[in-house]
Amino acid sequence: MPQKIRFIRNNKIIKIDEVDSNETLLNYIRTKLKKTGTKEGCSEGGCGACTVVLGDLKKNKIIYKAVNSCIMLLPSLNGKQLILVEDLIYNNKLHPVQKSMVKFHGSQCGFCTPGFVMSLFSMFKNHKNYDDKIINDSIAGNLCRCTGYKPIINAAKNLNKINNSDHFSLNNQKTIKLFKLMKKTKKYLLSEYKNKKFFSPTNVSELRKILENNPNSEIISGGTDVALKITKELKTLTSIISISSIKELNFFKINKNFIEIGSATPLIDFQKIIKRYYNDFYEILLRYGSVQIRNVATIGGNIATASPIGDTLPLLLSLNARIIIESKKNKKTVPLNKFFISYRKTILKKNEFIRSIIIPLLNKNIFKAYKISKRIDDDISSVCGSFNIEMKNDIINNIFIAYGGMDEIPKRAINCENSLKNKTLSESSINLAIKKLEKDYNPISDARSSSKYRMKIAKNLLMKCFLEIKDNNNYRINEY
Amino acid sequence: MNINNKIIHESKSHESGEKHVAGSANYTDDLLEPEGLLFGAIGYSKCAHAIIKKIDLSEVIKSDGVVSVVTINDIPGINDVGPVLPGDPIFPKKIAEYYGQPLFAVAAKTNEQARKAISKAKVDYKELKPIITIQEALKNKNYISKPKKIIKGKPLLSIKNSKNYLKNNFSTGSQEHFYLEGQVAMAIPIEENDYLIYSSTQHPSETQKILAKMLNQLDNSITVDVRRIGGGFGGKETQSFIFAAISTLLSYKSKKPVKIRMDRDDDIIITGKRHDFFSEYEVGFNDKGIIEGLIIKIASRCGFSTDLSLAINDRALFHLDNTYYLPNISITNYLCKTNTASNTAFRGFGGPQGMMSIENIINDISLYLGVETHFVRKNNFYQKNHNNITHYDMKIEDNVINELFDQLLKSSNYNERYKKIKRFNSKSKYLKKGIAITPVKFGISFTTTFLNQAGSLVHIYNDGSVHLNHGGIEMGQGTHTKIAQLAADRLGLKFNKIKITSTRTDKVPNTSASAASATTDLNGAAVLNAIDKIKENINNYVKNKYKINIENVVYINGKVKFKNKEFNFKDLIMEAYLNRVHLSSSGFYKTPKIFFDKKNFKGRPFYYFAYGASVSEVIVDTLTGENKLLQVDILQDVGKSINEAIDFGQIEGGFIQGSGWLTIEEVNWNSIGKLTTHSPSTYKIPSVSDMPNKFNVNIFKEGINKEDVVNKSKTTGEPPLMLAMSNFFAIKNAISNISENKNYIQLDAPATPEKILMAIENMKEKNNEIK
Repeated sequence: MPQKIRFIRNNKIIKIDEVDSNETLLNYIRTKLKKTGTKEGCSEGGCGACTVVLGDLKKNKIIYKAVNSCIMLLPSLNGKQLILVEDLIYNNKLHPVQKSMVKFHGSQCGFCTPGFVMSLFSMFKNHKNYDDKIINDSIAGNLCRCTGYKPIINAAKNLNKINNSDHFSLNNQKTIKLFKLMKKTKKYLLSEYKNKKFFSPTNVSELRKILENNPNSEIISGGTDVALKITKELKTLTSIISISSIKELNFFKINKNFIEIGSATPLIDFQKIIKRYYNDFYEILLRYGSVQIRNVATIGGNIATASPIGDTLPLLLSLNARIIIESKKNKKTVPLNKFFISYRKTILKKNEFIRSIIIPLLNKNIFKAYKISKRIDDDISSVCGSFNIEMKNDIINNIFIAYGGMDEIPKRAINCENSLKNKTLSESSINLAIKKLEKDYNPISDARSSSKYRMKIAKNLLMKCFLEIKDNNNYRINEY
Repeated sequence: MNINNKIIHESKSHESGEKHVAGSANYTDDLLEPEGLLFGAIGYSKCAHAIIKKIDLSEVIKSDGVVSVVTINDIPGINDVGPVLPGDPIFPKKIAEYYGQPLFAVAAKTNEQARKAISKAKVDYKELKPIITIQEALKNKNYISKPKKIIKGKPLLSIKNSKNYLKNNFSTGSQEHFYLEGQVAMAIPIEENDYLIYSSTQHPSETQKILAKMLNQLDNSITVDVRRIGGGFGGKETQSFIFAAISTLLSYKSKKPVKIRMDRDDDIIITGKRHDFFSEYEVGFNDKGIIEGLIIKIASRCGFSTDLSLAINDRALFHLDNTYYLPNISITNYLCKTNTASNTAFRGFGGPQGMMSIENIINDISLYLGVETHFVRKNNFYQKNHNNITHYDMKIEDNVINELFDQLLKSSNYNERYKKIKRFNSKSKYLKKGIAITPVKFGISFTTTFLNQAGSLVHIYNDGSVHLNHGGIEMGQGTHTKIAQLAADRLGLKFNKIKITSTRTDKVPNTSASAASATTDLNGAAVLNAIDKIKENINNYVKNKYKINIENVVYINGKVKFKNKEFNFKDLIMEAYLNRVHLSSSGFYKTPKIFFDKKNFKGRPFYYFAYGASVSEVIVDTLTGENKLLQVDILQDVGKSINEAIDFGQIEGGFIQGSGWLTIEEVNWNSIGKLTTHSPSTYKIPSVSDMPNKFNVNIFKEGINKEDVVNKSKTTGEPPLMLAMSNFFAIKNAISNISENKNYIQLDAPATPEKILMAIENMKEKNNEIK
């Protein structure tokens, strides 16, 4: 039986009877709710003009997440609170975030403004103090072509002076009640409309069953990559399985030797965990998409899409991560470097899904990673290089090097690694190893970079890694 | 001029600020949709250069939801959206001239249906060899108009007699506008053949004219309405026309309202961008770096048609001098025709490209001589009473660059920081810092003289509220805010008593584009002209009724003060109304003093110049080419500001946009002429992390416009973009620190990490050769 989608907006539970699973949340907001404050800028989650905030109940607390409504499929709204730019106004008065934007001249042409307001609103609700780093991170996924960002930053800083209670905090208890009311009726969801199915199982056994019966489904969680097939390639997806409501896939386990992360864990949660163990990993995650993307995109999704420029992949490869793959009958552990076959192709079969990722904790090793792109924020890397080195008495006992952007799949530099094993970490051994990279890779030229540059960067990153270790000093411009 | 009132100089928030943040400011796609609205989509060429043998739309017509399809055969009138010269067909007759050129369009019940239908077309092409790059066009002598040559003085002889000589070349890249609101238009049939068109355009009057010509109708049958646009930057000066034209054509054929809202990728693929430029120069100079003779060839990629390329190239030539006196100069200008989208206006309009050419020459000279660049710059500056005639024979009467530049050197602590950076670099092997100061002089006025006119329409209702319209488009630059401030000041009213509504061709006719930085100067003056006419009516009424002197009447604080009688403005307006006084007027303005002889390239094309200067400090990772802006100091002459907050916004935003052009943003085509950078995932404009750590922006306190411009202000529309030149040259300065052999740095713009790293590698190779 097809079910209704329920969500909270303006203190009411709203039900949608007929849900086209291929409709984007943005389209629903603009054409069905007839709220036009939320704008379409790019339809690919790259400009932030469509940012809205979703509230979700976690441990009796409402968590507010900014998301790109242009690449979120409407069924993902189920069980959430939807907050639009229009909803910030209360008793005909502007919200403190809106007031601050006006006061500090944060809008010029005004088209990106609602998106910025929503990103700042989410920051306002999730933090108590707003330092430069938090502000920067909060609006890195919003583009403005007019202001040069300074007045928007000033508006954000000004919020430090303002008590962060607002009508959402005023209605907090009421909203929580509504969430609980929704949760009562919330179970495994199925929507079917115009031959387009959308499944949202709540546990793994349901998922196994659905997958077995609908092997040609697209598995999504945030859906930030799959949605582009609809908005850009104009494809119709007839069967979609969302795993974002499966608690068993959204977890992390930490012990002495490894971290295990559920495949549907959003990157925003993953980044907090990995920060404790691998700082370079964390720094690169901060430049992965934007807050809007990381709020919903998952580590499992980054692996399954197998993009040659997926930013976590070279890092996970060099850390010798393993993934646990499951189907109705089977469960197996596969080293990540055996997972990718060719361009965006993996060994994952149609009835299988990724359950979790295991990242070894190698606290005695040296781990360094670098992302090179045209722009610092939210850019796809030209090259991403990752280095995991185990030293023993000044000798390289083991070394794992992986690059993204250098081949059709993210790949280890085996020849280069072999030439360094059991050597001292010296300029001469590095220079030798650098040459081996030409054996390992044959990069392409595209809109982002030339093959010549990619190779040069790959070599220089290895050199940089060596120099940083040798001098015991980081050479990073972002520290200035 | 009445400047007693406080309303001017107050940093009023944007007139739509509260609506922007509330999501209640309507853009074209947000307007209430009329019953039966159809959605249009455009099918375009998938070849850069090809004979179109056949377009088979049979599957398109059958596609879900499709109501109407149009091709060239459906155009009743003129098939051209060219703004100056013909050559921009709506749909080409026989030959597709770029990848992305519209070939047909559909209207369907939903936007999705229209877009899906497009993909079902079958087009047969016979491919021809495309010309994509400037170099290919130069080689094939493929131009949109004859090369232009300008000679002043004796360049050849001067170079020969100079002690020093350099020869080099330099390129600047293209730039996508990336207005956040994409191209959009909605055409609504009114009655008979009359249409109302809502369009996101900088140029409603030209839109009107083009649509009328397309339908073979008179201009008076078309009305264009623009309340605000979500950014333009030149990209909606002419590039909006084709979308308005196609939606109107679909509306004409289907007899239904039709909206076209472009998908971002298609928008970028179809529309033109900033012209990329290539220059080759020979320069002779003395030991102080003073340029004695310059021969320069300057070529631009114009795309497949003329569009605004003639005026853009002219402006590049006008700004080849920037702030420098060039008595002996020879310029040859090539306007390259290529199989790419027709390049168009973009903030600065060729000016930035011209300036970068000369700034690069100055930089090369200083590297060659080993003299700090700011000395070479100063040594070449125009002076107040001598060395003040430009290469197009205009005498510069308002020069403030010498004092402005010195002030900035001091306030930015340039010399101290220069030394500090040297110390840093001597200790830091891989990360290098760099610093540069660059000046800007930008000419204000349309260089096509007749465009320098503007109109307005002002009503005072009998409750004392004011409603006004003018020819300018609000696109974020704050022109409505500034003009409302001017109007409030002139009437002695509060800001909130003034309302400015959509710019419409039926309210103010024959307007010029909101462009050339002149929107507030021209339209503000036209509004004041209308207000003065109404005030004259009121004053004359008072004179006749009360028999009092009407010299020096003051409108202030809601009062109207005559010599010995005072009225409340509101009361006086009602009284005037009851006594049958006309309280509405149109207004007009045309810029005085300007003229230009295009044939001989001589005259006074500009009413005045806007000046500014900036200092950038950067850090470059010489292993990766990554770079970061650490500090920016700006001093900008804005005359007497009408609204400082808006001016700061323009300066900061212009700087960052210029920085994007020179360091991050890269437009690429593949070998068959397909644009490969057409979305925010492949084309990067600056984001928040590209802001400098410290961003000190100041307004030149001594600034005042010598000419009679509204409030004695100077525009801040385009000029600040060029302040970003210092960012580029700071990067070049940083690179120069890695080698002793400095005069070999070849770095073209944009200085992306890739270009920077390759420049460093080339330098290292050259050094090894020398060693």
